[in-house]
Amino acid sequence: MLISTEWISDFVDLPDVSPKDLGVRFTLGTAEVEDVIESGEYLKKIKIAEIVSIEKHPEADKLNLVTFNFGGKENARVVCGASNVRVGLKTHYAPIGTTLPIGFTLEPKKIRGILSEGMLCSEEELGLSESSEGICDLPQESVVGTTLGEYLKETSDVLLDVDNKSLTHRPDLWGHYGIAREFAALYECDLKNPFDEKWKQVLEATFSNDASPITPKIEEGTSCTAYWGLSLSGVKVGPSPTWMQRRLKAVGLRPINNIVDISNYVMTELGMPNHIFDRDEIEDSKIIIKLSEKEKFVTLDEQERDLLPTDTVIADGKKTLVLAGIMGGLNSGVTEKTENIFIEVANWKPALVRRTSTRLGLRSDSSQRFEKTLDSQLTYRTLLRILELVKELCPEAKVIGKPEYAGEDLNSFEPLQLNIKASHISKVLGKSLDQPKIVSILSRLDFKVTENGDDLTVLVPSYRSTKDIDCGADLIEEIGRVIGYDNITPEGPKLSVEPVRLSEAQKLHRKIRTFLSMNAEAFEVMTYPLVGEKLLKKADWPADSSLKILNSISKDHDRMRDSLIPTLLEAASKNAKNYEEFKCFELGRVYPDFEKEHSVLAVMYYSKNKSPFLKLLNTMERLCQALSLPGEIIDKHPKFKSLAVNEDWSGLHPFEFKNIRIMGKPHGSIFSIHPLLLKNNKIKGQLSMALLDLSSFEGRAIKDKTKYHPLPKFPEATFDYTLDVESGIEAAKLLEPLKKLKIKEIVSHKIVDVYAHASDRKSVTLRSTFLDPDKTLDGELIKASEVAIIGALESAGYLLKQG
Amino acid sequence: MLEKLEKLFEEFTSALEALSKEAEILNLKSEYLGKKGAISGILAGLRDCTPEEKKQLGPAANDVKNKIQELINSKLQKLEIDAINEKLASEREDLSLTDSVMASNNHHGGIHPVTLIQTEIEDIFLSMGFDILDGPHIEDEFHNFEALNIPSDHPARDMQDTFWFHDPHAETDEKKFLLRTHTSTIQVRGMTSRKPPFRFIAPGKVFRCERTDASHEMVFHQLEGMMVGKDISVSNLIYFMKSLLSEIFKKDVEVRLRPGFFPFVEPGFELDIKCLICSGKGCSVCKQVGWVELLPCGMVHPNVLKAGGIDPEEFNGFAFGLGLDRLVMMRYHIDDIRHLHGADLRFSEQFKTF
Repeated sequence: MLISTEWISDFVDLPDVSPKDLGVRFTLGTAEVEDVIESGEYLKKIKIAEIVSIEKHPEADKLNLVTFNFGGKENARVVCGASNVRVGLKTHYAPIGTTLPIGFTLEPKKIRGILSEGMLCSEEELGLSESSEGICDLPQESVVGTTLGEYLKETSDVLLDVDNKSLTHRPDLWGHYGIAREFAALYECDLKNPFDEKWKQVLEATFSNDASPITPKIEEGTSCTAYWGLSLSGVKVGPSPTWMQRRLKAVGLRPINNIVDISNYVMTELGMPNHIFDRDEIEDSKIIIKLSEKEKFVTLDEQERDLLPTDTVIADGKKTLVLAGIMGGLNSGVTEKTENIFIEVANWKPALVRRTSTRLGLRSDSSQRFEKTLDSQLTYRTLLRILELVKELCPEAKVIGKPEYAGEDLNSFEPLQLNIKASHISKVLGKSLDQPKIVSILSRLDFKVTENGDDLTVLVPSYRSTKDIDCGADLIEEIGRVIGYDNITPEGPKLSVEPVRLSEAQKLHRKIRTFLSMNAEAFEVMTYPLVGEKLLKKADWPADSSLKILNSISKDHDRMRDSLIPTLLEAASKNAKNYEEFKCFELGRVYPDFEKEHSVLAVMYYSKNKSPFLKLLNTMERLCQALSLPGEIIDKHPKFKSLAVNEDWSGLHPFEFKNIRIMGKPHGSIFSIHPLLLKNNKIKGQLSMALLDLSSFEGRAIKDKTKYHPLPKFPEATFDYTLDVESGIEAAKLLEPLKKLKIKEIVSHKIVDVYAHASDRKSVTLRSTFLDPDKTLDGELIKASEVAIIGALESAGYLLKQG
Repeated sequence: MLEKLEKLFEEFTSALEALSKEAEILNLKSEYLGKKGAISGILAGLRDCTPEEKKQLGPAANDVKNKIQELINSKLQKLEIDAINEKLASEREDLSLTDSVMASNNHHGGIHPVTLIQTEIEDIFLSMGFDILDGPHIEDEFHNFEALNIPSDHPARDMQDTFWFHDPHAETDEKKFLLRTHTSTIQVRGMTSRKPPFRFIAPGKVFRCERTDASHEMVFHQLEGMMVGKDISVSNLIYFMKSLLSEIFKKDVEVRLRPGFFPFVEPGFELDIKCLICSGKGCSVCKQVGWVELLPCGMVHPNVLKAGGIDPEEFNGFAFGLGLDRLVMMRYHIDDIRHLHGADLRFSEQFKTF
């Protein structure tokens, strides 16, 4: 919102500070000033000049070289094409660098080879008339050197562009008068209030004893809380005066005619929107505030709007005139032919205005103010101010009757009273403040304060208590912001010392990330928790069970993921193009249902050539060890299905699949992706994933159960032997019969080597290790153990390799 | 005899020179020093010599014997070293084939930059006695709005473009779920789960129904902080914010508070830091203002304390919210926020720090 400081000076004498400082003070004390714009500088730069001599331009017949004096010792010369130049003519001179009101900046420029030091201006160029012939011809008594500002009795302006969002909670700051009050408080200067009792009486004296032609009526259930209507006749519509047009233009409003301009001017000055009707367009002399019917209504901006029975409208005896609090109808306004008017100043329930304007996508200057909860107490003042300006601009206009009111009782209003201790304000701000200072700040902001020792009783002005101020904390803010938070010295609180630690889940997550990035050499990635049908389809993943968002902006992100697989598959297809092999992981959430979201770890290994399944499996096994998780890699089991992935999912590799059992349940799975799915996702190569559902154990404290064993004092003995088995048999299966041997000296059985010696046979070399912690191993015992080992293997059907 | 000895030695050295195999050298050694060897013969012949001859010949013969022994040893040693060197030369590896020049280089990993910054900030707050909390992403209307003093139809709900799972205007007693629009949702959960005084932070993902571009994301990260106790003041708030930011930026930062409106705090502030690029003189980063808006904060609104079961007459506190993605982007000069959820390893592999 643009605020004109020139306008504000009607109400407060701003101190002599730079425009920039003005903006900073307001930003730090009230609301963010996004920009400070100095306008009308041309009023200072353009001066009255008197032509001294004229000669023909050597290169152009129609151009003259005009020399003139503009108040200093030096004369200046411009190239001028105007036909009315003559020696002794007094006119306005704009030097190089001036930005003319029509928006054009004078640059140093040669005209046909001769430098022109600026420009002698026409009325049109100064924005004083729509069109003009030749340069200005000023009266002879005009004083050379007088600025345009002095001549026109106008001053330049400084505009503050205040961020609307930072005024959301301050309905009182949507007009110049409210902003002026803020400046008065911030700079401790006096606010001039022209709207006093005397002012009121003068205006009320214009009311007549005639019956008011129109009396507003409010029907049940509308958004209306207060409605004033005043009828006038004998209005002459025409352009508004220059001063009003300039102020309106300064704050970005387009002057239209005196009556419309008054309506906008008062809204911008006092912050309360209003509407002025052509009274002759109001049929049956009725103004009814009512709920709309389901109808189409064309608003002032020429858009057809669909109204619902929940929208409040203002209607006459026959038709809808205005969408209440938002925008007038196309034909409700004042035209050049208007003679009789009806002034409306009303207040509307913010939530209802907001609901309608949001639904219609129609935010107007009016609706954005009513949304903030305006103060009905200010409606009458606003009405009188409009009347004042109508009388000023159309002195022949006559009030018919008096203002007619409908709505809640304005006289029964009780101001909000708050109690607060002055010492409490100092305590919360963390700065010791004098009580008189506190009282003075509140008073300048129009709060009425009664002191009783430390206790303050504060009456809140009606326009601050509509939404903004309703408790002591709000008063603390008033003091704090005016004092300036810069003046509070930072200080640490005095608190007892207590140990803090990460939660078990946080510790686990940190450890997982450290292990996977440092030990497994994988990169952490993040993918969107929001997915779409297309992505799920690509992963052949069920799309209908996921939680759907009602107001998504894109079909690609309209539901919550219930697994990390689809998004990671997409990531794999993206990265497989750039890498021979890669490893990455995501520690993210899945959202299978409301209040069921939980953390899942997904690790993904990719290789262009060889299946990374075994590498990934080893990583997951080592991860479990590193985390002290009792994790065990197990095969698929028809009864105990994986809790991490649906084992019937078509994307699973037929063989490369293992589950991770943690504390009795298969909370994790390791698997490769089926080549067909890889093909459908344009992934060339092989991809393995591991999923681990962390939710069931991440909250539990993990104890490091590592226990030291003394190093052996006696030497170990080993026994290597080679078996000849079918190639289809998994080598590690050969170790199983050995686990049943009950020989305490056997420490371990491991695989040393696997070698395919025929197309359907392979030899597997195993090594058994023996150790007696208490004495040197007995040769007989080793012999007997070896026999037992071979025997166990033979009875399981695994025979020693011959030869 | 002496001459014979000399001649023998000469013969030996030239013979040794010609040899290059260990066995040959050992043969030569026994030829000279063996029991039946030439030198042994001479030494044995000493018995028949005169004492004078013995005196002369004995040491000379021993001397030659030692020399031969030495030459043989050094020759053998040289042969071994030569053999090893030859083997090393033949087994020599191409030492230029480091991971960094290989196409299939996956020997490094790294943590996501958001996690890096989040962990760093968590540690700063841990060191100042703050707990770290976590909360659900799918929240209900109460925790996201009502408990934070944002009733329905409050204009502040306009500022939050919320993803809804249920129609917010529907008349029902059922819980209405949404994706949390800020980490402030944790405030009530934090308050009801502990007794004042307490202080905690809560980092995490938040969601806004917004079109994405280089600087806007529908999924991003915030860090909420809250401290509640007796006589907590604005002065304390400024202290913690200054400490935090000085730790994050690794230098003393100047901050300023200005009024900012957030329904769940009163007074509410926008905290600006003096532009780190131009030190406040004004530059393109700070849009010539000299200050950069960094985080919203304020004193916890009494209604929020009440919603958290805390008596606002007895306790008060402050709260703040920090945009993590923005800090990450500032720290690493990342120009497009969409990379953070892009899972493109060409992005990820730039972050190998720890």
